[in-house]
Amino acid sequence: MVPSLGNFSLWLSLFFAFFQFFVTQKNSKLKFITIATIGLLVSSIISFFSLMYAHIVSDFSVLNVFQNSHTTKPMLYKISGMWGNHEGSMLLWILVLTIFNYFIFKFYKKNNSKFVSKILETQAFIAIGFILFTIITSNPFERIIPAQENGLGFNPILQDPALAIHPPLLYIGYVGLSAAFSTGVAALKLNDNEKIPWHIYMKPFVITAWTFLTIGIALGSIWAYYELGWGGWWFWDPVENASFMPWLLATALLHSLIIVERKKSLQAWALLLSILAFLLSVIGTFLVRSGILTSVHTFALDPSRGIYILLFTAVLGIYALMLFWTKSQKYFDNNYFAFFSKEGSILVNNVLMVVVCATVFLGTIYPLLIEALTSNKISVGEPFYNSTVIPIIVPAILVMGVGPLLSWTKEDKLKIFKKIFPSILFTGIMTILIFLFYQSYSAIGIMGIILAFWIISNNLLMIFKKNRNYSTSMIISHLGVGLLILGITGSSVWQIEKITKMQIDDQIKIEKYTIVFEKIDEIKGANYVALQGNFLVYDEEKNVITKLKPQNRFYPITNNFTTEASIHTNLLRDLYIVLGDGNLKDGWVVKFYYNPLVVWIWIGALVIFFGGIISINNNLNKLRTLT
Amino acid sequence: MKKKIFIVSFIFFILILLVFFYLLIIERNPTELPSNLLNKNVPKFEADSLIKKEKFISSEEFGNEIVLVNFFATWCRPCLEEHNYIKRFSNEEKIRIIGINYKDNKKAAINWLSKLGNPYSNIPIDKDGRVAIDWGVYGIPETFVINSKGIIKYRHIGPITEKVYKKINLLIEKIE
Repeated sequence: MVPSLGNFSLWLSLFFAFFQFFVTQKNSKLKFITIATIGLLVSSIISFFSLMYAHIVSDFSVLNVFQNSHTTKPMLYKISGMWGNHEGSMLLWILVLTIFNYFIFKFYKKNNSKFVSKILETQAFIAIGFILFTIITSNPFERIIPAQENGLGFNPILQDPALAIHPPLLYIGYVGLSAAFSTGVAALKLNDNEKIPWHIYMKPFVITAWTFLTIGIALGSIWAYYELGWGGWWFWDPVENASFMPWLLATALLHSLIIVERKKSLQAWALLLSILAFLLSVIGTFLVRSGILTSVHTFALDPSRGIYILLFTAVLGIYALMLFWTKSQKYFDNNYFAFFSKEGSILVNNVLMVVVCATVFLGTIYPLLIEALTSNKISVGEPFYNSTVIPIIVPAILVMGVGPLLSWTKEDKLKIFKKIFPSILFTGIMTILIFLFYQSYSAIGIMGIILAFWIISNNLLMIFKKNRNYSTSMIISHLGVGLLILGITGSSVWQIEKITKMQIDDQIKIEKYTIVFEKIDEIKGANYVALQGNFLVYDEEKNVITKLKPQNRFYPITNNFTTEASIHTNLLRDLYIVLGDGNLKDGWVVKFYYNPLVVWIWIGALVIFFGGIISINNNLNKLRTLT
Repeated sequence: MKKKIFIVSFIFFILILLVFFYLLIIERNPTELPSNLLNKNVPKFEADSLIKKEKFISSEEFGNEIVLVNFFATWCRPCLEEHNYIKRFSNEEKIRIIGINYKDNKKAAINWLSKLGNPYSNIPIDKDGRVAIDWGVYGIPETFVINSKGIIKYRHIGPITEKVYKKINLLIEKIE
């Protein structure tokens, strides 16, 4: 009954999406547009919650529930399991899309009716694309007859709180970029005599997308850090790149929108970025869902899905790029920027972000290109990204530190030096202190620490300069980036890794800690059994500072093994233990990691997120006063 | 100038989509990893044999006829699944089969084979996984086809299925 309702309302949402497309295209009466957007929202809410209900009550007459759930699964994961699979996640995507759609509609007023209609038209087209895709290739309400006794279970590495909220946050990001895309397309379609400040419409969406992409990616990396048991948090996996590339372009876009707002320059550039950012998100969707490559994230293989998304990408891309080509003339200008000015620094950063994005893109698709052309399989990994991305991002961060302190138009070089002298001093002192503390010197490490404190000290400087009104959200976000760099540097430059075979009562020394393998227990969880190692961690004074309990879990229903790393975190370092294979007689393989400063990565991301939230609010208020 | 940049980037966009499209429609398995040893000589090794008294010496075993090499262990469930296919190869007598017993208990392995039947003509023991490293094995079961000159022609990761079974049979005919 409920699944049929869900299926019906999914079709209904397709109908409303078409309806919205036609009424907005004809710029019809408000009444019709209201019906369309609310109808679309309500029907997608109904289908979303129908599937969620089927997962909660374990309705195994639904194929999707049967394939991905089990009665023994904890409730939280029954709910999040709904979007932990391909079909269900499409419903989540559609829901987020229609919620954004509704918010765009809320800005519909008499004086901007034509413009907002055009945004809604493109949004409706995107909604049609995704709803049709779901119905044709991946209907989550497909039934199996007869209903099954119990489900097949759920990939246990996905049974995790961070991963439960990772997809919704990421989808808010991707869909936010779709709204920016639609706004860009609408701006291009404007006639020359229509003066609509399109950037004020676009900015809240871009910042929302960027903010949620940031926190979504961060959560994904936290998950990878403690669940995959490799001691790292970023692997340059193609699917990680697929979320990183739109993030880079969104970063470039939101900064160029500042110039558009202040200087009325770079308009065409910002519009192009808004198109490319969303196209990259769709290509990312393609990479993840077509099965064209393998990664921890990819869903089941199905070429028909790939072909559909590819066609959709082609239609969106060709349409938007052609539109840009034919209609962007009115947005070009011949303004030149001084290098030492706020807009100059933003432009430099913009270019560098786009170059990083292009580099990552090349690295991601290069193996596919090579395979198509020569049928050789190669993989592009960390060494490529480290040696290409780092040299581009270093100048970007240097500029980022000083940029906000510069004035618009032009700034005297001596004045700049006077302004930043305190932060240079502070950076120098902090760097020396850090190196006295860690006693480990490497070029990359020195550079990373300098960059981190360069950002932090410049932003602290801005906080203490009361006479200038710098944007609070910008200072917070930039501070977050500084902390993030601190964490990245510490954990990648000073990580210590030890892999050894251990018997009970053996001990090992890592940094200043002595770790004793006390015992191994068998424990029972809700839907798994596990071997749990007990490790006592002593500091130099022989005090026990913590007990670490890494697990080796076995999930009998899906016949999977997972490792649960056990981590002791403080602000200076993580101690990270993974229990490997072994038995009582020969001992166990145990991996130890000492990861300095790693927690600052997540703290940094959280700080960036808060800055973003404040900025969303500010920009929404700007838009509200406008309409 | 602007026009040129636009056209070039547009072509680039279409080109990438075409590459994706091509990769989707051709039959390919992205999880498949070709072996670096493909079309190269089998790695040389010596090991104790599970069923014979004399040592297994690779240079004596390879290079005379087509050989199927199968890495297996009693603790590996998929190995059990594919065992029937290995036996089918053995019954058809088209190809000699060498099983490399990977990180296993000797007694358990002998028991396992006497219960399920032994399709292998010889079974070198790879107690510590050294041989597997030389062969670039990353998870068992793994199966290799070696031609009569001692050159590796095919590698399959994971259990042999009906499809793989047919594929190997075709390959045997081809290289014969």
